[in-house]
Amino acid sequence: MFEKLQDLIANELSVSKAAIKRETHLQDDLGADSLDAVELVMTIEEEFSVTIPEDVASNLRTVGDIMNFLENNL
Amino acid sequence: MKVEALNHFVLGNKVAKLPIVQGGMGIGISMSGLASAVANEGGIGVISAAGVGLFDHQNKQDKDRYVIALKAEIRKTRQLTNGIIGVNILVALSNFHELAKAAIEEGIDIIFAGAGLPLDLPSLLDQDSSTKLIPIISSGRAAKLIIQKWVSKYGYIPDGFVLEGPKAGGHLGFKKDQIDDEEYDLEKLLPQVLEAVKPFEEMYSKKIPIIVGGGIYTGEDIYYFMSHGASAVQMATRFVTTEECDASLEFKQAYINAEREDIVIIDSPVGLPGRAVKNPFLEEVYNGLRHPFSCPFNCISTCKKEQAPYCISLALYNAKKGKMNNGFAFAGTNAYLAKAIVSVKDLISSLKQEYLDAFRKKLSPTL
Ligand SMILES: Cc1cc2nc3c(=O)[nH]c(=O)nc-3n(C[C@H](O)[C@H](O)[C@H](O)COP(=O)(O)O)c2cc1C
Repeated sequence: MFEKLQDLIANELSVSKAAIKRETHLQDDLGADSLDAVELVMTIEEEFSVTIPEDVASNLRTVGDIMNFLENNL
Repeated sequence: MKVEALNHFVLGNKVAKLPIVQGGMGIGISMSGLASAVANEGGIGVISAAGVGLFDHQNKQDKDRYVIALKAEIRKTRQLTNGIIGVNILVALSNFHELAKAAIEEGIDIIFAGAGLPLDLPSLLDQDSSTKLIPIISSGRAAKLIIQKWVSKYGYIPDGFVLEGPKAGGHLGFKKDQIDDEEYDLEKLLPQVLEAVKPFEEMYSKKIPIIVGGGIYTGEDIYYFMSHGASAVQMATRFVTTEECDASLEFKQAYINAEREDIVIIDSPVGLPGRAVKNPFLEEVYNGLRHPFSCPFNCISTCKKEQAPYCISLALYNAKKGKMNNGFAFAGTNAYLAKAIVSVKDLISSLKQEYLDAFRKKLSPTL
């Protein structure tokens, strides 16, 4: 699952897969802006067939935050 | 589209006589006075919810005071006009949802939501609300995202968008290096946004009107954008120097006294660039002479309170009241063009005349 997420993020944000670790910060480390973040959430919802509630989505800061959500909700 | 004269602006079942939206201006600049005057002339008058109730000392302990104050302001405006009125609510306000809900309960015609993506705004509507929802955006990308989100989560198509370009006043939705980059000119952004919404208009057989703002000052400017696909314009700066504007005389005078080079970009404590009229207060801030304060409000979720050299709400409130030594005026790039304070009625007639002149000039360029 982590690999699939890495691929998705690498693709969405045009960054290298190697740069994506659990502790990687989406905004500070990968330069994602607020629009990128929303697009990423939409892609994740589609690819993993989950729904990420708005209040959760707006608090996803790191790759690990996303993984935690997926691990608890899939 | 007919562009011979300033036409009606149709927003579903709501129709304004003129395609002119008065942009919401926070911390007391556009309240019932200005909003009702604009609506009475056929435009769309907008109250800004930013700061409403913040300085209302009587109810200081009441946590509902913002909602109560906003409802009261909407009712006051309603008593003064039968025209179309809206409320501008910053998504970044900590109580965005409560304020939007309150405005809907009051039956406000339109909510304009900017400074952030209002991704769950449609969830606040109920079966019989007639409020229109118009996000404020700075790119085609944002328009597309909001449509996709709203449609997939709520089956709701936005009732329109305000596209705000980098010449606007107040907080800007652009990075500092984009502000003067011609790639981000409103003239360039408009076709991109029209392109972004077009597939959705076709898919849902619904017109999604685009209202453009930021630096629009004359009827000729209005003509340009209307003939390039905009459905209406949003203007704020030009409405400041009117008799009905709710700001102090000192605030309006700051516009009239300003030269072109006095309109500057500042770093606002809320983490966005902003445009304002330069004054000694801002120079002290710039030179590090202003010092941290303690925040009694927590009004804006993105505000960097700990590092801020001053409170933006307090500084803007001081300016609204005319205490320019302890505050400053937000303003659009064209604020320096103001020469005198006029009535909203006279301002609207000049805009109509200028629009007509621009149209005639276009027909026979030799005139
Ligand atoms: C004094 C002032 C206060 C403003 N406050 C707000 C606000 O509270 N919320 C908002 O969305 N836009 C705000 N704006 C932006 C305006 O609504 C408008 O979109 C923009 O200024 C349009 O450009 P113009 O001023 O060149 O006409 C403000 C602008 C000014 C000049």
